[in-house]
Amino acid sequence: MPTCTDIAKATKKKREIKLVGIDMYIITEKGIPKFDDIGPFKCEFISNRGTKVWPGFVSPDLLQVNWYRCRFMATKDVQDADVNTFLDALTKKGWWWSAAQKLWNYDGEAGFSKAY
Amino acid sequence: MGTQHIVTMLPGEGTGPEICEAVRLVIDASGVNIKWEYEEIGLDCLEKHGTLLPDKTVQAIARNKIALKGPTTTPIGTGHKSANVTLRKVFDLYANVRPAKLIPVLKRPWDKIDILNFRENTEDCYAAIEHMVSDEVAQCLKVITWPGSYRIAEFAFKWAKANGRKKIYCVHKANIMKMTDGLFLDAFREVAKKYPDIESGDIIVDNCCMQLVRNPAQFDCLVLPNLYGDILTDLCAGLVGGLGFAPGANVGDNCAIFEAVHGSAPKYAGMKKVNPSAVLVSGIMMLRWMKEEVAADRITKAMFAVLDERKHVTYDVGGTATTDEYAQAIVDKMHAKA
Repeated sequence: MPTCTDIAKATKKKREIKLVGIDMYIITEKGIPKFDDIGPFKCEFISNRGTKVWPGFVSPDLLQVNWYRCRFMATKDVQDADVNTFLDALTKKGWWWSAAQKLWNYDGEAGFSKAY
Repeated sequence: MGTQHIVTMLPGEGTGPEICEAVRLVIDASGVNIKWEYEEIGLDCLEKHGTLLPDKTVQAIARNKIALKGPTTTPIGTGHKSANVTLRKVFDLYANVRPAKLIPVLKRPWDKIDILNFRENTEDCYAAIEHMVSDEVAQCLKVITWPGSYRIAEFAFKWAKANGRKKIYCVHKANIMKMTDGLFLDAFREVAKKYPDIESGDIIVDNCCMQLVRNPAQFDCLVLPNLYGDILTDLCAGLVGGLGFAPGANVGDNCAIFEAVHGSAPKYAGMKKVNPSAVLVSGIMMLRWMKEEVAADRITKAMFAVLDERKHVTYDVGGTATTDEYAQAIVDKMHAKA
């Protein structure tokens, strides 16, 4: 007699996973970061506390903390090794970061949210 | 006529436009001098202009600094983002003020409920940071910051002091989420020290829910992180008569938007049968924010009288009146008492 856990595990489906970008969590006291392209990765947007602060309009009244989510999207097919190179380059440029989250598409659909 | 106020009206979608017209009829008849500027927001707007919140709407709200908003639609799970959340983020409307006060004529099991909820409106699990971190694991970041927590506590204590409230409790789950809810609670305690005349304390969110349904009269003001606030404010609305009578305000340092918290009920759109009371009481809240206390009191008394008579009330409170007939009955009652 399968347990509920067994039944749940048996529902796992094979999905095609493709690396498409990186969310970088940058700590800085110097305001909204600015980036040139780093290898095959281009900064698409930056958010603070979940609100998009670049590109486009940002209210001067918006509360910003020293922790920015910077979304870098790949401009060509990339592999995990490209992420390692990217992290090295970013660190060498002097950016202090708390975490990196790889962004994957699953069966062609984004497995990550957009920013408000 | 007194000072003219300019208010941005955001009728929203579904039943929003017909509700807002009824509310405008009542507010205009109260003696207050308001110039309404209509702007678009929501799903209809997305289809027409490719955005939930056009620049023209943003500029109007930024200029007028005050808006009254009808309901908008947000799909569950997929599709476009919430117009409400977008609005809160663009204008940094960090304080969601949700009063829950018994309406005398609506029969409820309690004698007294007068709770003022202050929900942090911009952080927590609403930061829109979600990832599928593997093909079988989804993750949502719960973002709580010190300044975000501190300012909602400061806002709540200031509001409470200005309105003669006596007691504020911080609602949290810091026994489990020691970092995030712990930070929220620490900030609350720091602010509370500056207001020794107001009794303060804290309560774990699950216990708070149980206490609210057992003995809601014990609560005065509650300060809550975003997610608990979202849930508990609806619970409080249910205690006093449902979302159909629940007002709300989203307030930032430079702007305030008043809105009902119920959905847009698209299946009733155009039928003119829904109860506009939630937007109306939000409008009353807006009038008090604008220091138009006389107009606010007039509408409140007339609305209670119409509800008490039960002759011209909408279907949800046992009547057959249309949205417009209910609104007109309130207007007639105000004029009769004038």
